[in-house]
Amino acid sequence: MKLKLALTALVFLTLTTNAHAAKLKVVTTTADLASIAQEIAGDRASISSIARGYQDPHSVETKPSFLLQLRQTDLLVVVGLELEAGWLPPLLDQSRNQKIRPGTSGYLDVSQGVEILDRPTGTVNRSMGDVHAMGNPHYWLDPANAVRIAIQIQQRLGQLDPSNAAVYSSRLGNFKQRLNEANKRWTAQLAPYRGAKVVTYHNSWASFAKRYGINVVGYVEPKPGVPPSPSHTFQLIKLMKEQRVKAVLVEPYFDLKTPQSVASRTGARVLVLFPSVGATPAVGDYIKLFDRNVSELVKVLR
Amino acid sequence: MDLLSYLIVPFAAGLILTGIHAYLGVHVVERGVIFVDLSLAQIAALGTTVAYLAGHDLHSTTGYFWSLGFTFAGAALFALTRVHHETRIPQEAVIGIVYAVSAAAAILAMSKAPEGTEHLKDMLVGNILTVSWAEVIRTAVLYAIVGAFHYAFRKTFLAISVDPHAAEAAGINVKWWDFLFYTSFGLVVTSSVAIAGVLLVFSYLIVPSVAAMLFTRSIGKRLAVGWTMGALVSAIGILLSFQLDLPTGATIVCTFGAALALMATYRVLSGRAMIVE
Repeated sequence: MKLKLALTALVFLTLTTNAHAAKLKVVTTTADLASIAQEIAGDRASISSIARGYQDPHSVETKPSFLLQLRQTDLLVVVGLELEAGWLPPLLDQSRNQKIRPGTSGYLDVSQGVEILDRPTGTVNRSMGDVHAMGNPHYWLDPANAVRIAIQIQQRLGQLDPSNAAVYSSRLGNFKQRLNEANKRWTAQLAPYRGAKVVTYHNSWASFAKRYGINVVGYVEPKPGVPPSPSHTFQLIKLMKEQRVKAVLVEPYFDLKTPQSVASRTGARVLVLFPSVGATPAVGDYIKLFDRNVSELVKVLR
Repeated sequence: MDLLSYLIVPFAAGLILTGIHAYLGVHVVERGVIFVDLSLAQIAALGTTVAYLAGHDLHSTTGYFWSLGFTFAGAALFALTRVHHETRIPQEAVIGIVYAVSAAAAILAMSKAPEGTEHLKDMLVGNILTVSWAEVIRTAVLYAIVGAFHYAFRKTFLAISVDPHAAEAAGINVKWWDFLFYTSFGLVVTSSVAIAGVLLVFSYLIVPSVAAMLFTRSIGKRLAVGWTMGALVSAIGILLSFQLDLPTGATIVCTFGAALALMATYRVLSGRAMIVE
């Protein structure tokens, strides 16, 4: 009797896990891509991201769960442009999941279909800093690129899971519409500050600045990936005074000491601007991220 | 269970590290040069950074030979500075200075040859979780060669580590054998650090040896205790890391700490003279 019960439970368990497995498993490297994928997939696919929004996506501490997560993934969505080059390749190798190897239909590098800034012309050499030889990987911070990312995810999901293709395509339409409306709001909020000069810590905000007409005149880092040096900081202070720079924008994972000392000597204000969804629980999706960033930016530029 | 297949590679790496480091650790503790592995690893990293500045790729053969060259220079330095009779400068001081200066020099080099931050971190923060079979096998072969070399000359190596004066008196060229010791040691540490990171390699080197000294003085028994402890701690640490989803290397290091604390407590509580000759 007991055995029969146990067997029934086992069969039931197998059935439910099978039903669960039928749902497409999508893993993204960053929370931003997860948020956009979630908009497209709704409840038709399970979405999770490897890096948390408060982590620097250039360097992520790998944990065993990442391997287990990747092992069962049907679709891996990456930012590309070498953003994840420091930690993803060994994880991918050790996950031993053939479905998500680069070049297969389970691997989607969304940088292929977006507008990339700062693509270096000519040869890149090491004296230029941690320059991404393929262009600026922080392209997701432009809503136009978010739409391009969403379209690529929708197409790939439809291809891997044709039974839900109609759902994905209608959800894409819905997301585009909401994002468009939100973008009109953000553009209007930032319109009075068109041409405003700011300094950023890392070159994370090129796409955002271009979209809303913000003028990035300098960086706290002397070269991308290199910590601030005294002479560079001195020149930056001079430049900020000359150009009357109002704000220093810093990603949450960088040290605030140098930005604060620079700001205190120039009358600018330091603002921690979030480059990723999930940097705090309040910015839980792509639109909320921009809502927060835009309203905070307006406060310091005023 | 196929979860096992993900545990088995890090565990194999842990066993290999235990095998060579628990042995080398006995020498290192005997010599009282506890931080020599950090220092040599840092010198090797500096070598790679300099190669990188000179335009060689980080994982290229040329880059490897640069780091090897720097390691040999460090080995020579440590062989020459063992004990200075006149000034009584302890060797540990030299080791610390070499560590600090080569770490700082690497920072300077990096500020000129960037992308550096990430890549230099790569060198010193190997990740035992994502190590591949190919790396494990390559490392095992290298360590087998070093191990065979040490086994062949075990009497000489032990003599110069335990009592250099007696060795000198017995006609052994201590400086030369010291150089061979540090060279083979540097070779091992450089490879280990690349797959497991500085913290973990340090733990594999020192903790088993220290734990064994709680219970026995004989070199053979110390090795046996060290190897057993290293293997057990590797297994438990890796399991814990998967169970609790924690970074694998750091979990093993903390497991080493906990195991040592347990063994020391046992030694104190059991109260009797535990030292086995």
